[in-house]
Amino acid sequence: MRAYRAMLLAGFRRQATYRLAAVSGLATNAFFGVVRTAIFLALYRERAQVGGLDVRDALTYVWVLEALFGVIFVTWIWETAESVRSGDFVVELLRPGDPYLRLLVFDLGRTLNLLAVRAVPALLVAALLLPLRLPASAGGLALLAASGVLAALVGFQLRFLFSAAAFWTPDYRAVWMLALPLVWLASGFMIPVEYFPAPLRLLGEAGPLSALLVAPVRVATGRSAGAALLLQLAWVAVLWAIGRLVLTVASRRLVVHGG
Amino acid sequence: MVEDLLVYLRLAAAAVRANARRPAFLAARTLASGSIAAVEVAGMVLLLDRFGTVGGWRAAEVVLLAGLAFASQGLALTLGTRLEADNLSLLVRKGTFDQVLTRPVSPLGWIVSSYVDTRYLGRLLAGVGAVVWAGARAGVEWTPGRVGLAALAVTSAAAIVFGVLLLSAAFTFVTVQGSEAGNVLVYGGAYLTSYPMQIYGSALRLLFVWVVPLGLAIYVPALGVLGRHGPPGLPASLAWLTAPAAAAFLAAGGLAWRGGVRHYVGAGS
Repeated sequence: MRAYRAMLLAGFRRQATYRLAAVSGLATNAFFGVVRTAIFLALYRERAQVGGLDVRDALTYVWVLEALFGVIFVTWIWETAESVRSGDFVVELLRPGDPYLRLLVFDLGRTLNLLAVRAVPALLVAALLLPLRLPASAGGLALLAASGVLAALVGFQLRFLFSAAAFWTPDYRAVWMLALPLVWLASGFMIPVEYFPAPLRLLGEAGPLSALLVAPVRVATGRSAGAALLLQLAWVAVLWAIGRLVLTVASRRLVVHGG
Repeated sequence: MVEDLLVYLRLAAAAVRANARRPAFLAARTLASGSIAAVEVAGMVLLLDRFGTVGGWRAAEVVLLAGLAFASQGLALTLGTRLEADNLSLLVRKGTFDQVLTRPVSPLGWIVSSYVDTRYLGRLLAGVGAVVWAGARAGVEWTPGRVGLAALAVTSAAAIVFGVLLLSAAFTFVTVQGSEAGNVLVYGGAYLTSYPMQIYGSALRLLFVWVVPLGLAIYVPALGVLGRHGPPGLPASLAWLTAPAAAAFLAAGGLAWRGGVRHYVGAGS
């Protein structure tokens, strides 16, 4: 247990060294947030409610999206796959303890740093300037933070599954690049899933990708927040089982080049 | 001059051949680069399908803007992807740029030609496809004048994006480590100009029409293509200004690049 806590802290500190990256990431999120805000304000000038969302819901969606974007689509996205390709991944398998849990804890440490330095400031400033719909009580804010952490856990596990492609093909980047546009759209990072036509909307609202953004937005706006959190927990558990199974099968395929 | 050009063309041809050595991988990367643009257009259509209009513009008209933006971005990145912070940072940190400086060609010409990345043609093609689709939906009659305006928009905006890449490269020479700062303008600029300029506040409009003139390069020619007049202060008749503004911005990028190279210190390799 202590070892995993040390990994968590190490991950947090590792990310804390990239200060320039943190500042420029924050600037990127702020810029896209401002543009998206202008677009939604223009869209809602002619309509009061679309897909069950009003303008306050839409603006909250925009800024939760900006807060979580860097947490889900992390800059170290290729690291695990690259270490599999080079064979360095074997070190993970040699270390004591559970490799999957260790990778997860270390990744969580890094994303917790991103949540602290990127997500919180972005949401805070937006909440001061715009009529967002955020929880007013300490309990509500704690649930929002929990939802952000669950989103990060699902994010790691999905990234791990995509990275696992590297056990089977050295062209793992092609797999990820082909999947990315669909992941992006289906998880609601382009437009809210509430605007999707019926069958797609159901997939976006309940599928594994819903844990990344849809659920945290619901927890923030307070509409069916409890159900959203439970769904996130369920997907963390399901992906946990799948991820470990994939790691067990894939470890047998690992080829270490050279000597 | 002509001999120089031949050298660059040969370097570019070698880069393209190297890319094509793994055809399946190249195809997948090209498809991926195009499909991101296609999915973004799909998202835009879904969005406007629910709302009807944005700033008084219908879905097809907005998609035309997005198509022009993606096409110009694809063109600029085909030539300039190596100037992006992450990629250039690698050249600087590994000391490869030392070798570039010793070669008997211009460093910029060498970097651009020997790292031509054809996968971004996927984005260019997806953008052109979106323009054609949107033109048909919006009832645009493609007279030579309108085709010329669309081509003017794509080339001018591509020159501006390339100018942004040069600025970001100059910044990378100073910071050495890569940063996302340049991406704000390369990707954020395309996102912003995918929607009509009248929906933005005066600060954003000022910035993207008169400082980084991406809005001028895409929105104003698009007004002419769609037969619209444009809001006060940004009329369709400003289209003549597009090419000079783009050239001026590109020149500023070139100056910054030269300053950056002068600032460069070898890694001692």
